[in-house]
Amino acid sequence: MIEVRNITKIFDGKAAVKDISMQFPEGQANLIIGRSGSGKTVLLKCILGLYEPDSGEILYDGRSFTRMKSAERKTIRREMGMVFQGGALFDSLTVEQNVRFPLDMFTTKTSAEKANRVDFCLEHVDIRGANKLFPSEISGGMQKRVAIARAIALNPKYLFCDEPNSGLDPETATLIDDLILMLTKEFKMTTIINTHDMNSVIQIGESVLFIHQGEKCWQGNRGNILHSENKILEDFIFANKLYAQMRREKTGMI
Amino acid sequence: MDWLFHVGRYFWMLGKTFSRPEKFKMFVRQLFHEIEGLGVNSVGIVVIISLFIGGILTIQLAYNLMNPLLPVYLIGLGTRDTLILEFSSTILALILAGKIGSNITSEIGSMKVTEQIDTLEVMGVNSISYLILPKIVAVVFIFPFLVILSIFFGLLGGLIVGPFTGVVSLTDYIDGIRYLFVPYYVTFTLIKSVFFGFLVASVPAYYGYFVQGGALEVGKASTKAVVNTNILILLFDLVLTRLLLTA
Repeated sequence: MIEVRNITKIFDGKAAVKDISMQFPEGQANLIIGRSGSGKTVLLKCILGLYEPDSGEILYDGRSFTRMKSAERKTIRREMGMVFQGGALFDSLTVEQNVRFPLDMFTTKTSAEKANRVDFCLEHVDIRGANKLFPSEISGGMQKRVAIARAIALNPKYLFCDEPNSGLDPETATLIDDLILMLTKEFKMTTIINTHDMNSVIQIGESVLFIHQGEKCWQGNRGNILHSENKILEDFIFANKLYAQMRREKTGMI
Repeated sequence: MDWLFHVGRYFWMLGKTFSRPEKFKMFVRQLFHEIEGLGVNSVGIVVIISLFIGGILTIQLAYNLMNPLLPVYLIGLGTRDTLILEFSSTILALILAGKIGSNITSEIGSMKVTEQIDTLEVMGVNSISYLILPKIVAVVFIFPFLVILSIFFGLLGGLIVGPFTGVVSLTDYIDGIRYLFVPYYVTFTLIKSVFFGFLVASVPAYYGYFVQGGALEVGKASTKAVVNTNILILLFDLVLTRLLLTA
């Protein structure tokens, strides 16, 4: 489980994240949602240690990440997998080398063991026959899947995804969401996903944190998000015409 | 006072760069990759430029030394000393700052804006050391070889162009390049090349690593990196020449 306690992050005198507290349980997809610029990426980067919060604490299974020194954090970093918005695959490495990279860097496995692990990870994300291709030679959806394969290569306890299905067609986006949920369950990971895609929320949002202007605005799950009476959340959800129509049909509201 | 911030951050970066590599095997692999990419791939341009400059220097010296009182072999001597003392180290470094420097800035800068560097950091890799150390070591290692290559091909350029254009005979040119040879000049130029190699790799790496924004900013950072590397090369040239030749 990951816990954030009263996290605040200030840039140039303006708080991008204000006093947010939340628990992200393991074995389920935890979503952070909000408009663009609401502070969800800043919060995720604070959790990852890419930004140092100005106040508050982050705990990984009770271990205080914020109080750790750089060397101590490396232990926890070995337990993390991250999928960035654009995939962030290393351009100069092939698909296979990308997935193999964390294994080369942090393990003492033999070459055959590493090859097996790479194959296992690529099969799990349904990538076949692309091992020798470079990131520029594969589609955006495949890049995301390779990024997921690389993220799970070291069998992480914590998986982070920053808008994993942005820029993808609805079908591929659904596949990516399903894949993340499946891996979360299979490997019992604590997964945190940043998104502003309502389809993802409805599909995999077992726990949802809604952030507005850097503040925690609502907390719930996919079961109750559509029935929330939070006005700001409603505006966010029903900005999507499809969901607005669904609500009209359900409630008879015009 | 903005420059003071950059100087401070540059030295902070160097401190992180020269920490122990995460995994030595990976460092060696990267090092060979960089030696090939940044060094071996620069051999072609070094050879072409040096051949032409050697030839041009020979013709210009012949034009300037058109005096019956001056021996013709001075053309060879002048070409040799100009190549060794200045062209093959300093001018070549300025040219390679453009080629290698912009390559380093754009590579690291692109990695930065596409979050590849963040990926390394999340994994727990010291991204500065992993990306920059092999580049610095590779360029510092390869620069003296490129300088020696440049001297050789510069002299060869003069050897071809001089007799071909009739401004100096083959015998006079060879006599000239052998006359009053000072081996220390070679030592001097090799010392300079080590400093210049360090600047050509580290300054552009700095601009690439700390770029913020998108592709446009990476382009701007490349330009800044090349301009500032050139200025620093000239500054170091001045200081090293004063210290090593006239002090």
